Amino acid sequence: MTELTTMERIGLYGGGVLLLIGTVGIGLLEIALGAPHPVTGDGQVVHETLISLGVRSSIILLGLILMAAYGVTNLLSKPPADTSI
Amino acid sequence: MVTNIQTTLLGRDVSFPVEESRLAYWLVMMRLIVGWWFLHAGLDKFLAWPFNASWFVGGAAAETTLGPVVTLFADGFLLTFTNIMVPLGQTLIGLGLIVGALTRLAAFFGAFLMTFFYFINGETGGWAHGVITGDLLGLLIFAMIATLGAGRVLGVDAYLAKTSFVRDHPRMRYFIG
Repeated sequence: MTELTTMERIGLYGGGVLLLIGTVGIGLLEIALGAPHPVTGDGQVVHETLISLGVRSSIILLGLILMAAYGVTNLLSKPPADTSI
Repeated sequence: MVTNIQTTLLGRDVSFPVEESRLAYWLVMMRLIVGWWFLHAGLDKFLAWPFNASWFVGGAAAETTLGPVVTLFADGFLLTFTNIMVPLGQTLIGLGLIVGALTRLAAFFGAFLMTFFYFINGETGGWAHGVITGDLLGLLIFAMIATLGAGRVLGVDAYLAKTSFVRDHPRMRYFIG
């Protein structure tokens, strides 16, 4: 793996961290802080949120946008390092 | 055969061995199953033509995070464009993955489409049981197929990669593989 530039780090690591915060991080926080997820008689989990889905959605979306930006800038700036193909 | 993948992550050496036969097997499996998922979705819409996405881009999407962008496609020329491009895109993405042609390009557009499905389906009720849904997993599998260049295993891209056109245009390797 070649050394990443600062912009690549922001796209790849920044995007990955935001994606993980939006999915795993907030999910763990909700469990830890007691957002109730009662199971109904039908076995359905009722998902009640501590942090609004709009906020969570925006964090995940920003993460995906940063990762996509990493991909596009890579495409525009240099050919792939893998010269075997 | 086992290959040692030499790589770093966050500045640390995280090299690891990979058994190549298993990797090739899973790349083809993922490509075929995800490819059929999209090819089926596209063909279904063509077989039941006309397809009208207005309920999705106009109705369902309006109150979601992507609403301001997606609702622009809710009428007129842009709706017609969407009505054609969604089934056409799904069909081409599915075909591309199944035959392994322009695999990375197909996977990129697959992930692009899944982004819309994930947020709009999710915010209109799909996240009732949590934010990790089949749509997000589909998006991640497209990202994995693009990252690993799955089209080179029993795919047309293995042939395309050897053509003089690709050799003369190195950036084409971002689309095949």
